[in-house]
Amino acid sequence: MNLLPTEEQQQIVDMVRGFLAASAPLERLRPDKFGQIGNPDAALWPKMAELGILGLGVPEEGGGLGLSAVEEALTYIEFGRALVSVGVLGATLGAHLAARTMPDIAAAIMAGTSAVGLATPRGAVAGDDGIFSGEFHLIEANEADFIVLLTSDAIALFRREEFTGQSERLSMDSHMRLMRAALESGKPLSWSSVKDGIDHARANLLIAAYATGVAEAALAGAVDYAKVREQFGKPIGSFQAIKHKCADMAIAAEVASCQVSFASVILSKNSDESRFHALASRIVAVDAALKNGATGIQVHGAIGFTAEVEAHLFVKRAHLIDFIGGDQRVQKGQFIGADAVI
Amino acid sequence: MNLDYTAEDEIFRAEAREWLDANIPREVRPPDGPGMREFDLGWQRKQFEGGWAGVSWPVEYGGRGLSLTHQLIWYEEYAKAGGPNAELLFVGCNHAAPTIMARGTEKQKSYHLPKILSGEVAWCQGFSEPNNGSDLGGLKCRAEIVGDELVVNGSKIWTSSAHLADWQELLVRTDPAAPKHKGISWLICDMQTPGIELRPILIMTAPGHHHFNQVFYTDVRIPLSNVVGEVNDGWNVAMSTLGFERGTAGMLENIRYGAVVERLVDMARQRLGASALENDDIGQRLAQLRAEVTAVRAMTYRIASRAAIAPPGSEASLARAFFSQLQQRIRRIALDIIGPDSIELPEDDPWIRPYLRTYSNTIAAGTSEIQRNIIGERVLGLPR
Ligand SMILES: Cc1cc2nc3c(=O)[nH]c(=O)nc-3n(C[C@H](O)[C@H](O)[C@H](O)COP(=O)(O)OP(=O)(O)OC[C@H]3O[C@@H](n4cnc5c(N)ncnc54)[C@H](O)[C@@H]3O)c2cc1C
Repeated sequence: MNLLPTEEQQQIVDMVRGFLAASAPLERLRPDKFGQIGNPDAALWPKMAELGILGLGVPEEGGGLGLSAVEEALTYIEFGRALVSVGVLGATLGAHLAARTMPDIAAAIMAGTSAVGLATPRGAVAGDDGIFSGEFHLIEANEADFIVLLTSDAIALFRREEFTGQSERLSMDSHMRLMRAALESGKPLSWSSVKDGIDHARANLLIAAYATGVAEAALAGAVDYAKVREQFGKPIGSFQAIKHKCADMAIAAEVASCQVSFASVILSKNSDESRFHALASRIVAVDAALKNGATGIQVHGAIGFTAEVEAHLFVKRAHLIDFIGGDQRVQKGQFIGADAVI
Repeated sequence: MNLDYTAEDEIFRAEAREWLDANIPREVRPPDGPGMREFDLGWQRKQFEGGWAGVSWPVEYGGRGLSLTHQLIWYEEYAKAGGPNAELLFVGCNHAAPTIMARGTEKQKSYHLPKILSGEVAWCQGFSEPNNGSDLGGLKCRAEIVGDELVVNGSKIWTSSAHLADWQELLVRTDPAAPKHKGISWLICDMQTPGIELRPILIMTAPGHHHFNQVFYTDVRIPLSNVVGEVNDGWNVAMSTLGFERGTAGMLENIRYGAVVERLVDMARQRLGASALENDDIGQRLAQLRAEVTAVRAMTYRIASRAAIAPPGSEASLARAFFSQLQQRIRRIALDIIGPDSIELPEDDPWIRPYLRTYSNTIAAGTSEIQRNIIGERVLGLPR
């Protein structure tokens, strides 16, 4: 038993972190460099494809690197820290869904030539035997060929054309592109329910890992600022009201990261406990991202309320990912209905 | 990362399970008094005789010399089997013994460690004072060196089970002129020594519950050979114990709470119905608690993984601060599930006394505020 990354796993983390520091620094999301709508991350996909990141956990016979959910989760923590477009989640999940039966599509996704957006329900979804109907939000779908739909009990890969009435909306998280759309008896290319295999659990795990990264980055930003900003002749981090807020952020991030690690090992074994542990990780990690995102703004004072520093980005991204496949309320309803794992 | 156990680990687990199945006490643990002492010591003796008392203790001190992973496996099986919470043994096994192992003389080790492990004696902790709780470093209980003895005068307070203990780990000021952390010594104090008097203090959990004491010392003579570590180096000696407490000592409790949450989920399903629970506020809170207690297990595993490389440091405060508050939230929800009858205090009561008891979790062994100071300053590097 060991819940720390191995040397090889740490090397992967360092590689991804180094790549993102060079190619996707947080400052890229400041409005003085980029516009309000859209994000600069589409340019990342081919580079990430080159590094093998988009097919990291896809089996080798499916054209991926054949690594496990552990390595996937570790890289997703890094994606969250850098606020990489959540389109990456579409790519990873789409590649997994396509790899088994549609190698060409999987290859295009992993090569970064076909983008994959996300769909998440705006209300009730009718989904009988792989035919889906309902109203959805599409995220990062504008240039996508494919869409991964996540509901609380299924995951499915569609061609984007399958969604009707696509109409753009401004997103609260203004770097993410948002649309409304519908499915009327939409037929996916590939899908699986929460009951078969770990596809659905993987989605929750990767959302949890991403949220952990968001929580860690919000914490890091708050702590850095608390060390340098002075009031009353002292760094604000010396005031307990601020210090204890930072301590609570650190606790939340640690809780999330431990459970994400634990769940990732469970998933890598294809265990029956995958759904339980993935849901647990999602609940604590999204909680951490929401709380740390909010607290981070308060620690910054007025500058935290501006678009000139990153503080505001974390809570917005946390709200966005909270809704992918159902928000905390939905996830907790699922989780309390699940059988105990002891 | 892996959660794999070796074949040898699995054999160890099976043996532990089998032994616990056959030996776990079936009678109810008395909540206080000599009956509780007898129960806890008897249970410790039984574990010792079965070879399960000191799984990760070094062999030379009567333990099995196994890894922290083995200790974790033992705790998991212990919790699953519903093993008793033998609190009286906590200070001896989890504070005094590790401290004596790390800093004691050969003579102190060979005399005290076997007695602690075999359930012959109980220990208590004399650290806090009426005017020094969080500010432990400012403690005033005085000890003067006279010949080959220390003469102790002063008072300690909140000393759990002092009335049931044979020995005490006692922090005293041996050099009042030195800076506050530099004039303290860590003593082994025989509780039968003349000049020690106790004042029982009743606690809030139920009428007549005793639990802790104020301890008065009047010219109490303790041999100099009972100093652990150097005279005036007691602060460092004490800190090694606190580090241990914040790290691995809480593991059993952490694991035990998973079962408490599942009992609450069952109780809520019975009372509210399974489908109602999914949309109810109580169901939402229970789901959050279930996820959090699941994460505590993951935190415990990570602590054990880290401890295999280096002893627990300040980062152990993250788990401790989180867990003590989580325990309060878990025990609190029991009242909401039980409803109006929760204002009753039945004789056989699995929920109300444990709920009241959790108010101490964020106070004892360093308050939540002090834990946050430690996290802020030593984990995050924020200025004092
Ligand atoms: C059930 C129980 C059993 C115990 N058993 C033992 C025992 O066996 N042996 C023993 O020696 N002690 C024992 N204690 C005592 C325990 O260690 C102390 O209660 C604890 O260290 C806090 O000290 P205090 O009670 O004097 O509170 P205080 O230090 O007076 O604190 C009061 C309040 O002020 C806050 N505060 C204090 N300083 C700061 C600061 N710097 N920053 C922010 N907030 C601050 C605290 O967090 C707390 O909320 C026990 C306590 C309990 C509740």
